[in-house]
Amino acid sequence: MSITKLAYYPGCPSEATALDQHISTEAVFEKLGVELVEVEDWNCCGAAEAENPMLVYALNARNLAIAERASLNIMTPCSICYYNLARTAKALKEDEKLSAEIKGIDSSLEYNGTITAKHVLDVLVNDIGMDELKSKIVKKLNIKVAPYYGCYIGRPRETAYDDPDDPVLMDKLIELMGGENVPFSQMKTLCCGGPLMMTRADIAFDMARTILDTAKSAGADCVALACPLCGMMLDAKQADIEKALNIKIEMPVVYITQLLGLALGIDASKLGLDKNAVDTKELLGKVV
Amino acid sequence: MIKTWELDPGFKHEIMKEPGGEHLTSCYQCSTCTIGCPITEIVPSYNPRKIIQMSLLGMREEVLSNPDLWICLICQTCTARCPQDVGISDLLSAIRRIAEKDEEAGKLKIESPRPLFDTAFLHTVEKYGRLYDIGLAMEYYPKREGSFVAGQKAMMKDYMAFGMRMFFKGKMGPLGGHGLLKGVLPSKIKKTDVMKKIFKWAEEKEK
Repeated sequence: MSITKLAYYPGCPSEATALDQHISTEAVFEKLGVELVEVEDWNCCGAAEAENPMLVYALNARNLAIAERASLNIMTPCSICYYNLARTAKALKEDEKLSAEIKGIDSSLEYNGTITAKHVLDVLVNDIGMDELKSKIVKKLNIKVAPYYGCYIGRPRETAYDDPDDPVLMDKLIELMGGENVPFSQMKTLCCGGPLMMTRADIAFDMARTILDTAKSAGADCVALACPLCGMMLDAKQADIEKALNIKIEMPVVYITQLLGLALGIDASKLGLDKNAVDTKELLGKVV
Repeated sequence: MIKTWELDPGFKHEIMKEPGGEHLTSCYQCSTCTIGCPITEIVPSYNPRKIIQMSLLGMREEVLSNPDLWICLICQTCTARCPQDVGISDLLSAIRRIAEKDEEAGKLKIESPRPLFDTAFLHTVEKYGRLYDIGLAMEYYPKREGSFVAGQKAMMKDYMAFGMRMFFKGKMGPLGGHGLLKGVLPSKIKKTDVMKKIFKWAEEKEK
């Protein structure tokens, strides 16, 4: 394994609603012997709310520049942060004029394109690699999992690191840990509805319910995911969806880093598994 | 019926000048975007292909006042599948920004609360450098509901149970993993002066 150190960009949800993902990411990389250096004084990537691409480029130039000054590739656990960091890196590398203009806003925004942005899932499977992970796995996950990818992992193609229609990186990890992937290809890349949660909750809830229902009828013990906004929608808001639609779902939703942490033998409490909104106790009983 | 004398032939150029709108004229109306769209599944009127064709024809007013503009998820499914690389997701975003400019100029009234939400979100980023959920909600709900009191009521309805859930799971509030008032108080970066410069520059670029 070649990676020993990465710049870590936690993203805004890491401080509140996705604390569990943040904790488990840090624990997993510590166990794997990869040092994570938090991007000092990082700022928000603009998420989906910054519709002006120029704003996205300027906001993310700063984060990229901080990582670049430390000569470290930048890794994030959030799909939207990843998309914004990666498309900014691409735009600034390809457009010298834009790059110079952004540097002109403030010298701290000088990014020269020498480091790249990566998502946690990409780093785990493609950079650290399956062989290395396999050698460190000590527990078997005796569970059925619905691997849910959402957006920005396989699309758009400029920044994608997996297949747009049938992504497999999480499937591979789950198999490696002894888990079983339930048939889920119809739902894998459907948007969770998150971006409409605050303005059209009816549509957002409908989308999230479809994903959770499908996981349930496929016999999954849990849904695994790799993005804090998906986590917000499918886990943190699940009780609100149940109430609004007058249904029972009760589907545990966990981050892929939480599952990997269990397989690596890390204690559940250090993976934030007490913080997922839908109870994960039954799931933990199936880790042997 | 399309009244040709009411069309705005300049509209397509207006869109193509916006970042993300550049590839509008590449569209050959195959409808792949619309067939695969998860929103069209739920809201049958939602038709990105039609929005593009109307834009090409110059139906400026009809396009900008279409409420469906505001239910795009930005999920990029259309962009990924488009055989002509129109970049539909970014294109719709460019059209939304033109609508917002028209509203600012008093030429259009946008019914959707989405611009209010996006603005409130970005205000917290400009001020603190990071998203501040509570600050966002405190700006968004009163604006959406038209008064402070109605806003508080709507916010409570949406977020009381959610907030308590996050509190008891230790994700927000005194039980938080990182500090006593995590999530309750904003997480402020040191270089907020750089944030101000960034937002000022981006705003100028939009003009």
